[in-house]
This record gives sequence, structure tokens and C-alpha cells, in this order.
Amino acid sequence: MDTFETLRGIITDKFDIDASKVTLDATLETLELDSLDTFDIIFEAEEKFGIKVPNDQVEIKTVQDVVNLIDRLRAEQGKK
Amino acid sequence: MNKNHRVVVTGVGVVSPLGSDKETFFANLMAGKSGIRHIESDFAESLETKIAAWVDFDPLAHFPKHKANSLDRVTQFALVASQQALEDSGIDLGTQDKERIGVYLGTGMAGAASLEEGYIRLYRDNANRLKPFTVLMAMPNAAGAQIALDFVLTGPNLTFCTACASSTISIGEAVRLIRSGEADAMLAGGSEALLTFGTIKAWEALRTLAEEDPENAGASCKPFSKNRTGLVLGEGAAMVMLETLENAQARGARIYAEVVGFASSSDSAHITKPSPEGQARAMRNALKNAGLQPADIDYINAHGTGTLLNDSTESAAIKLVFGDEASSTPVSSTKSMHGHLMGAAGAIEFIACLMAMQQQSLPPTMNLNDPDPECDLDYVANKGRVGVKVDTVMSNSFAFGGTSGVLIAKKL
Repeated sequence: MDTFETLRGIITDKFDIDASKVTLDATLETLELDSLDTFDIIFEAEEKFGIKVPNDQVEIKTVQDVVNLIDRLRAEQGKK
Repeated sequence: MNKNHRVVVTGVGVVSPLGSDKETFFANLMAGKSGIRHIESDFAESLETKIAAWVDFDPLAHFPKHKANSLDRVTQFALVASQQALEDSGIDLGTQDKERIGVYLGTGMAGAASLEEGYIRLYRDNANRLKPFTVLMAMPNAAGAQIALDFVLTGPNLTFCTACASSTISIGEAVRLIRSGEADAMLAGGSEALLTFGTIKAWEALRTLAEEDPENAGASCKPFSKNRTGLVLGEGAAMVMLETLENAQARGARIYAEVVGFASSSDSAHITKPSPEGQARAMRNALKNAGLQPADIDYINAHGTGTLLNDSTESAAIKLVFGDEASSTPVSSTKSMHGHLMGAAGAIEFIACLMAMQQQSLPPTMNLNDPDPECDLDYVANKGRVGVKVDTVMSNSFAFGGTSGVLIAKKL
């Protein structure tokens, strides 16, 4: 399963948000997710993807931002 | 500004092992039903005593999934009881100055389950990190804070942590605040959700928990009885809506009673062993605060835990204060039915007192067939009394640590 599909699964499962609303260009704000909710999503993503998101990289606006962050960290941290 | 406002109760809310609405709760008390039963969690087999007074509670019946997952059970209970109390009071918050409405909450172990879940992840499961909401779920002021957030109450918000007396103190201090003119209304009470493996084990080590009655688990808590063996841990929440008499009358609210007296004291004698003098001091000062005499009290809801030390000490303290009136003043321990709700105990028992006044009925002390000779008062043994005069009540709470709290309420 690709990054987006997995991330969408995390968001819909945690927050009871309709999957059709979770698109790549959706902002977390329009999904009514605040900064604490973002931490919660990142926590799950770290578990599922086996990555560690540094504290200074949790400033994200859209679902695409999260997908990019996860993919970049998977590539970087997977090489270690 | 009037510095001596009269304070009345206009709403109550309960989440309890005996039902999660005020009518069911009080009807079950009057019927002598027990909320004490076998613990169904997996850890029960590792407990010496496998009983508790637990609440059937489905968080998803009250909160969306994500909210439920980000609130400890103690906060969930508190929110549901608060919602009930607000609705019961009939108050329209939209017409009130919410800067003058606050929240005082009592709790003993606060977010015990969230903290324990964190430790399980770290120490048992060797996970290296905790869920992002752990601090916010476990912190002792979480429940009080969440009530203020949900109902947008921007007055004072304090959490009282005085073990078994926490919510008697929170209500009493809220009364003081309203009396002083610093608030028009307060949501006050307590919440407790400590039935976790670690917390029960800690209580087990104190050797204060009741043994299970071999014939009837529900009858394991036996306050004032010669064969009492200890307290039964419980959980739940109880909240009351307090407001100035002027405010309540102005909006035509139904008034349960006026809170006329409150006092607290510290034994400063022993961390667990109660002192009759300390308890008596709180009762005397509450009477003095109310401007009442012992003969004016129609009913005492006792702390009555069912431990060897509490019940004889409390009986002695009542005799010290009430003198000749002690033998003719009905006293009951409703803990025999709803267990010991710790941080919510005082509030739920205060609500039992309010319902007793409303229905002119006294709930019994159950499982009292063979009284301890040192407990020789009228304990309303085994059968409630219907159609009796209950116009003025006293509710006692005595905590580990030595804090005593006593509330007195009177029908208007």
C-alpha cells in the first residue's frame, strides 16, 4: 500500500472522517484537525512506516505535505 | 456588592455503579440494590479481592471516536455528569455571564488509567515512546479543564486533590466562592476512574479492601457491621450546579436545597488512622458555619467506608458532636451499595442527600445485620425509610491524609 493510502487509513480511522474528503490537496485545517491531532497522526505514521519525525519538521499544512515528509524520511532513514 | 450570597443547588448529574441518571441512582439506593460486582477485566485473576463498584459506560455513546480516545475515563465521566447537571438545572448558558461561572472538581487518582497505559507500553512492551495525548489525559486537572472547554465556562477553574474528601471540598469551596460574590454559579463535584490493575494492587497492599462476601458479592461492603472487612473501590462522577439564590430565583429555577454550611479540617494525627477529634471539628465547624444545632440535622450521610477504623471512629465523632441527639439522628452509609467513589464519593453522597430531601426518604445502610458494639447509632439498617421529614442534611467525607470535609444543606 502506498504512503497516501496508508495515511488516509490513519486519518479516517482515527477521526471518523469520510475517506473521500482526505485528498492530497486537502489541508489539515479544512479536515478540522488541529496541531495536537497532527501529532497524533504523526505518532501513528511513525509506527506504521518505521520512521522518526524530528520535532522541527512537524509544520505541515496539507495531506500532500505529510506524504512528502513520510516519503523523504523513509528514504533518508531507511538508508541508515 | 453583597458579600454574603446565599447558595443553592439547582442541578445534579451522576455517573455511577448504580445508574447514570439521578432517578435510577436514588431509586436503586432506596431499594437497597448493590453496584458492587465481579471485575471482568483480564487482570482480575491476579487480584486478591476481585470485586469493585464499576460503571457500565460506553464512551462512544457520548463522544465521537477521536474525542473519546483523547480523554481519560475520569474526564469522560466528569463531562457526562456535568452535562446532566447543566441540563437538570435548566440554565441557559447563552443568557449567563460565563466569566462568572467556574468549575471546581475533586479527584483522587485523576487519569490513573492513562498513566498506567503509558507505563505498560514502556516497561512491559518495551516501546520507546508514548502516545501524544498521555500528559493531557493523565494530568490531574484534565477533567476540570475539559469541562470548562466544552461548556465555555471562563470563571475560576480549580482541581482539589484531597483523596476521599476531594469532592466534598470542591463543592464546599465553590459555595464559599459564590458566597463571596466572586462567581454567580459553579459546576462542582468530583470524578474518579481508578479501577486499573496497578491502582487496585496499591489499595490491596494497604489492607483496607473488603473481602468478597462468599454468598453475595454485592453485599461485601458492610459499614458499621461487626463483620465488616473493608471498603470496596468504586468509580463514577457526580456534579452539582450551584448558584446564588438570586440567580436561581430570577430564572425561576427548581431549587433542591440551600447549601448552608461547610467546613474542613485536618487531623494532623496519622496518614491513614482517622481521628474522632479531627472529624468532630469539621462537623462542629460546619454546623457553626450553617448557624445550626445538632438537633436541626435530620439525616447524616456518613463517610461509612466499611473499614474497621473508619466506622467506629466516625460513630464516636458523631457522638462527640451530637451528644444526646446522636442516638436519634439517622445515619447511613450509601457506600454499602455504590462502593467508595474516592474523589467522587463526597459529591455523589451529597447528591444522595439532596435526593433524600426532595423525596423525603432515607436510603439505608445495607448488609448491617450484626452491628459492631462500638457503632451504636441509628444506621437506617437494611431498609430505607419513605415519608420521613428530611429537611436538613449533613454529608461527611474523611480522607487518607487526614482531611475532613462536611457539607450541610437545607430545604428552602
